[in-house]
Amino acid sequence: MQKDTPSYAELHALSNFTFLRGASHPEELVHKAAELGYEALAITDECSVSGIVRAHVAAREYGLKKLIIGSELRLSESLKLVALAQNRRGYARLCRLITEGRRAAEKGSYRLQPAAFADGLPDCLMLWIPDNRLLLNDSDCWILEAFRGRLWIAVEQLADGLERERLRRLQSLGRMLRLPLVASGDVHMHCRKRRALQDTVTAIRLGTTLDRAGFALYPNGERYLRSRKRLATLYPAELRQQTLCIAGMIDFSLDELRYEYPDELVPAGETPASHLRKLSEEGMQRRWPEGAPAKVRTLVEHELELIRSLEYEAYFLTVYDIVAFARSQGILCQGRGSAANSAVCFCLGITEVDPSRMAMLVERFISRERNEPPDIDVDFEHERREEVIQYIYRKYGRERAALAATVITYQPRSALRDVGKALGLSGLQVDRLARSMQWWDGQEVDTGRVVEAGLDPASPVIRRLLRLVRQLIGFPRHLSQHVGGFVISRGPLAELVPVENATMKDRTVIQWEKDDLEDLGLLKVDVLGLGMLTAIRRSFDLIRHFDGREYSLATVPAEDSAVYDMICDADTMGVFQIESRAQMAMLPRLKPRNYYDLVIEVAIIRPGPIQGDMVHPYLRRRNKEEQVEYPSEEVRSVLKRTLGVPIFQEQVMQLAVVAAGFTPGEADRLRRAMAAWKRRGGLGPFEDKLIRGMRERGYPEKFARQIFHQIEGFGEYGFPESHSASFALLVYVSCWLKHHEPAAFTCALLNSQPMGFYSASQLTQDLRRHGVEVRPVDVNHSDWDCSLERREDGTAAMRIGMRQIKGLSEAAARKVVLLREKRAYSSIQQLLERANLSRRDLSALAAAGALKPLDGHRHKVRWAVAGVEEPTPLLTALDRYEAAPMLRKPTEGQNIVADFKSLGMSLERHPVALLRQRLNRHRYIPAAQLASMPTGRQVRVAGLVITKQRPGSASGVTFITLEDESGHVNLIVWRKTAEEQRGVLLAARLMGIEGELQIEGKVIHVIVRRMIDHSHLLGELMVPSREFR
Amino acid sequence: MPPPPDKVPAQREDGQTPPVTEPRRPLKSSDRPAKTRIAKTNPAQQSLSLAPLTELQPDDPPAGAKRTGARQLWLCNHFPSLPLEALNARNKSMPDVVFENQQGNRRVLLASTRAERLGITPGLSINAALALAPSLKLEERNAEKESRVLERLAVWAGRFTSIVSLEPPDLLLLEIRGSLRLFGDIKALRQQVESGLAEQGFKPSMAIAPTALASVWLARAGRSVSIDDTTNLAGALSSLPLRCLEWPESVRESLNGMGIYCIGDCLRLPRQGFARRFGAARLLQLDRALGRLPDPRRSYRAPERFSEECELPEEQSDSEMLLEACLQLLSNLERFLTTRQIEVRHVQFSFFHLRAPATHLTLGCRQTGRKKEQWFELLAIRFDRLVLPEPVISIRLRSGAGQALQADEGNFFQTSGQRRNTSITRLTERLSVRLGNDGGVHGVTTVAEHRPQYAWRKAETESPGPRLPPCAAMSNHWHAHHSPLLLADIRRTSSLLLRRPLWMLPEPLALIAREGNPQYQGPLKLEDGPERLETGWWDGNGIARDYYVAVNTKGIRLWIYRNRHKEATWHLHGIFG
Repeated sequence: MQKDTPSYAELHALSNFTFLRGASHPEELVHKAAELGYEALAITDECSVSGIVRAHVAAREYGLKKLIIGSELRLSESLKLVALAQNRRGYARLCRLITEGRRAAEKGSYRLQPAAFADGLPDCLMLWIPDNRLLLNDSDCWILEAFRGRLWIAVEQLADGLERERLRRLQSLGRMLRLPLVASGDVHMHCRKRRALQDTVTAIRLGTTLDRAGFALYPNGERYLRSRKRLATLYPAELRQQTLCIAGMIDFSLDELRYEYPDELVPAGETPASHLRKLSEEGMQRRWPEGAPAKVRTLVEHELELIRSLEYEAYFLTVYDIVAFARSQGILCQGRGSAANSAVCFCLGITEVDPSRMAMLVERFISRERNEPPDIDVDFEHERREEVIQYIYRKYGRERAALAATVITYQPRSALRDVGKALGLSGLQVDRLARSMQWWDGQEVDTGRVVEAGLDPASPVIRRLLRLVRQLIGFPRHLSQHVGGFVISRGPLAELVPVENATMKDRTVIQWEKDDLEDLGLLKVDVLGLGMLTAIRRSFDLIRHFDGREYSLATVPAEDSAVYDMICDADTMGVFQIESRAQMAMLPRLKPRNYYDLVIEVAIIRPGPIQGDMVHPYLRRRNKEEQVEYPSEEVRSVLKRTLGVPIFQEQVMQLAVVAAGFTPGEADRLRRAMAAWKRRGGLGPFEDKLIRGMRERGYPEKFARQIFHQIEGFGEYGFPESHSASFALLVYVSCWLKHHEPAAFTCALLNSQPMGFYSASQLTQDLRRHGVEVRPVDVNHSDWDCSLERREDGTAAMRIGMRQIKGLSEAAARKVVLLREKRAYSSIQQLLERANLSRRDLSALAAAGALKPLDGHRHKVRWAVAGVEEPTPLLTALDRYEAAPMLRKPTEGQNIVADFKSLGMSLERHPVALLRQRLNRHRYIPAAQLASMPTGRQVRVAGLVITKQRPGSASGVTFITLEDESGHVNLIVWRKTAEEQRGVLLAARLMGIEGELQIEGKVIHVIVRRMIDHSHLLGELMVPSREFR
Repeated sequence: MPPPPDKVPAQREDGQTPPVTEPRRPLKSSDRPAKTRIAKTNPAQQSLSLAPLTELQPDDPPAGAKRTGARQLWLCNHFPSLPLEALNARNKSMPDVVFENQQGNRRVLLASTRAERLGITPGLSINAALALAPSLKLEERNAEKESRVLERLAVWAGRFTSIVSLEPPDLLLLEIRGSLRLFGDIKALRQQVESGLAEQGFKPSMAIAPTALASVWLARAGRSVSIDDTTNLAGALSSLPLRCLEWPESVRESLNGMGIYCIGDCLRLPRQGFARRFGAARLLQLDRALGRLPDPRRSYRAPERFSEECELPEEQSDSEMLLEACLQLLSNLERFLTTRQIEVRHVQFSFFHLRAPATHLTLGCRQTGRKKEQWFELLAIRFDRLVLPEPVISIRLRSGAGQALQADEGNFFQTSGQRRNTSITRLTERLSVRLGNDGGVHGVTTVAEHRPQYAWRKAETESPGPRLPPCAAMSNHWHAHHSPLLLADIRRTSSLLLRRPLWMLPEPLALIAREGNPQYQGPLKLEDGPERLETGWWDGNGIARDYYVAVNTKGIRLWIYRNRHKEATWHLHGIFG
């Protein structure tokens, strides 16, 4: 850049966080401004600071001289202002203003009145952006007073041919109003190439097509970051000089934001440090009544020291407070995340993972060098999470607690839909194309698919469409709320970041998302819901009620080898995490024998490691079929516990540090880039740096490439060890329950539905296969929930609860239960007279067969119940006069159908058992016989389709599970077969298949060659098939 | 105007019995008791109405019922594929799938055999269907068209009987007892109906029974039987599934729950108990079906005028193809007229275009006529002269008022108003042929468009011109300067204002440049500008130009532009007055 090129600072620029107006990412604007040598760039999104953190990070990266934070504010048709925060106070004031405007309007919009500026918005500099009338309305003249001495008239020259005239008139207006003039550019994009996209998002915003958008579009593409030379021709020097003046008056950076923890967590007379120490000591006492082992003691000491030096005490205290509340309410919870697996957290009861059990995790939980905040997510019972959220709101008030946002961005499909509409394609055409998006890797569309959709890939419209879609993907579309990331502050939150309304009533979200908070070193607590915790707590409760034994996550006997035997047999239906088809297939090969094996198991069967091709090397090495070699001692230290294969996210980052010379900060950025590389395209700069770094340190190219390939595979699915460790505990506990307390565990699972992979029917069948009696639903015995009943031999049987009955209200069921306490119901009339049920509830009970014990078979009961009129008439009287119909007793098949319809399960024989004779005619064999056959044999099996899965990681393979009366068969359908026989694949509920048997140890698969739809045999039997993606 | 079809005329114009399925002959005294019983039935007092009914035991039909049944014979056509067939009726390219739009959810309503073979079933979402067969031809259901088609069929069916009952959405009932002798026997008649429908592209499920309801249920169940006598009726109906009764889902569900799956099961239930649980109306329905109670039906009455539209599968400008479609319409007209026993003196063809107003063509002839050949000849002559502004997307044929066959020749002239209309139409037609398409006067309309060449547009005199988009920007003054309406207003507020010449060249004129300076009758001096226009990329006619106001040596101010391409050529686009 030439020395004498004039200086300039852009004070009015919108990023794409001004949704559907701005056409460039904040990072792109910052990058470009730095490249053009601007003195400063102000990001002034409309009533928002959502994109500002990204800009802030980018400014550091690209060396932008100064980033200014501001906001464009439209008060009325005629009045548009830009406010720029001069310092921390001004920033706080601006955030308050934005909050006020956003809270006063519906989600996604804002409303500002002059009254909001009553204090003149101190510590902010203001630009007035006149429109082409070049007038200040009488009603807007208040701004002259309110912003006296801090107000400029912005002159925006955008090549409309009126530059000279505008300048002349504004100059005279400035003289009249005694306001200085300043140059600014109304920037909407970083380069002029985005013009088409800017037009497109405008059309999308207005819900119209481009050719109908008319004057809503800008006449030209001048709203980009123009070169300083060009600007010099457009603006007189004094106007450009003013931009520098203004930039010079601003002294604020997001780095100044300091998170201040809530202070009510520390009792009077204590400091956060002393209080945390006290609580930890107490916890240690509780965990180890006979005195903690020396190792643990040292560890706690060490961690407390680290926490003190980084001043994170208050964070731990915040999480402790929330967990303590949950505990006081009997809500089961469990922390996870980098800091959660610390000894301190164990002592505080935030997690139940015993540090002496987890020796290998110590010390990595917070890094002193990386200025990264500790991360603790807490899972709560899914049905009771709301109680915790309400507690947080109660305790800190809405002023100080809010959810983090999630920025919803354009995905290929949504981008295609919106751009397609803007270009005027019909809904049907867009639908067709959207289908082809499945095969889109983000860069190229398979032209064959476009042709299939009946469109010409070479046509200019389609080319335009695809080009724009490519640009639009990743653009933010709107803010949504994060699932449970809470930000809590000492002062009003709205002075830290604007707060706006969420879709959910009474919920508010801040304008930043999780990553933004992390970037600024602000802390959040993730309050999440987890179904398994509900099920585990219910299991504990059921066991306590049944025979008084008390269990908790911590007291379930550890490392029980019988439990691991069960896991190795893949007998894990219903347990946490390792119950999926893929997990079950892996268990007999991986043979987990201890807790840490489970930690690996949880992390390894995920798309990341599978795509990175890490599973098989790990398996081979674990089975001692392959030698483990480490290229260096450093690498060994990182990968030893996973036999030289990087399985956890932490390992990848550590590798980057020890083997490629990354700084911890760079490693962290690599982690983020990994999470987003598919969306944002490429790990480009990291690839170079990683491979170069490793080569420089003497690692062979091949090793470097392999590591990089694995990192890529990790994609968005990389799983951190710190999370895996907490999950593994729940895996173990749920397996222990399944093995030792199957009735209680299944009962709890059924009472916590919907959750997990399997239906009530499958879980119940599994329980019966394990020899536990299951008793049918019965008005005289069932509660609302499924319950345990004592058998004569003292063992537990499970009674189906009335909650399984479709269409029955909970209130009615509870009434039925309450009123039978004194004496059981002996007839339907009695039930009617006493419980006074509605016809609807009564029919539901009858349909479920819950009245069978009272009045004979289901058909008769239903006839009787259908005759009841509301409000209950004198049934006895009617009964006497009514002729009794001759109704056939239901057949077994009819009973099964009725059971499934009403309960979603049946205790009769398996429906396939009824069809066995007919299936025999087709030479189908029962699933149980497969195990005794040789691998490679051609077989025919048939069963109900219970799951169909096409994981993204399995390159088009479909996994199907069939169920017959003897058990399950796992099918593998290659893509080609699936596409050829798509009709059957999609439609069949009862499927017969022909294929090749594959047996590997205890893992049995059938590779499908042909599928036949036998659904008609089922008649009306409806078995819901659950499909997972 | 013809009476709306739902109004049943008391007397048919031919003086025959009212088109109600009640017995044509007066009731015999033995029929009366049954009828009286019904007359007493008061829906508000169910228990009262039930009392006499309980006397009717299933195996003891009311006296005379047998004879009532014997008097009628119903042929029911059920069109399960009507949504598909209606779209398909005259298009050679038939869609594979008809879909329905339910609150933005597009689902398959009906699939052709071809589509079914590909695994596409009703209820599937469009996306799922496209997943199975990406090249499917899809069309949205057109209920209006279906009812038009059904009406047309009702008119056509009039050739078989005078009692045709049209029951939307998919039933057409013919009372055929009286027609049997004319057509031979049941079998022969049935065959004629069947082949006649097939010829028009319809494949109904057909059943014949002595009561209307029974024939409907049998047809819905797909039993293509012919039952002549009520004695066989109960047996034939008893195995039918409850589905064909089209009772609400909840009722069927409830019955299934009691082990009741077919009509026979229902008939075995105690009558009182049944009525109490499922309503007396359903019990009466069963009785009507079995012929125990009369079941009056309304007869369809065709509209007096013929009007039908034929949508072309694609924009069509080939005159032979157009004529063929017209011929098809004319044969439908002929069929209509034959059935109605009338003739007309004029018909009007309307050719609809996508972007232009419709072209109308009225044909009149001195003699009334109904033969398609006669009309087609007239059409062919006129068609040569006809200039269509654009390809045609659909054709409508309407007939004038019909006249009875034996109408007096002297009635040729209609009311003077009608005549004037006709002649004006003819005059317009003649004029438009003379003047040709682009020789006439055109209007001017403004368009919300940045591109100057599109900002003013010639408008057809008849059409309102392209509408301004209802975009929010119209209220935004920044842009409003483009609208001439607002110019005055803006001037008053002394704001900035774009300069546009009033005289625009139809085509920009390329200018020579010397050393980069444009020339037009000498060197030009640039005054104002540039005004940069970069837009319109989306339709392939995008521009990227810098416009200037320039003054030539004679002091004339010109509007010129330089292309923002590599060549940077100069053009003259307008002259300021």
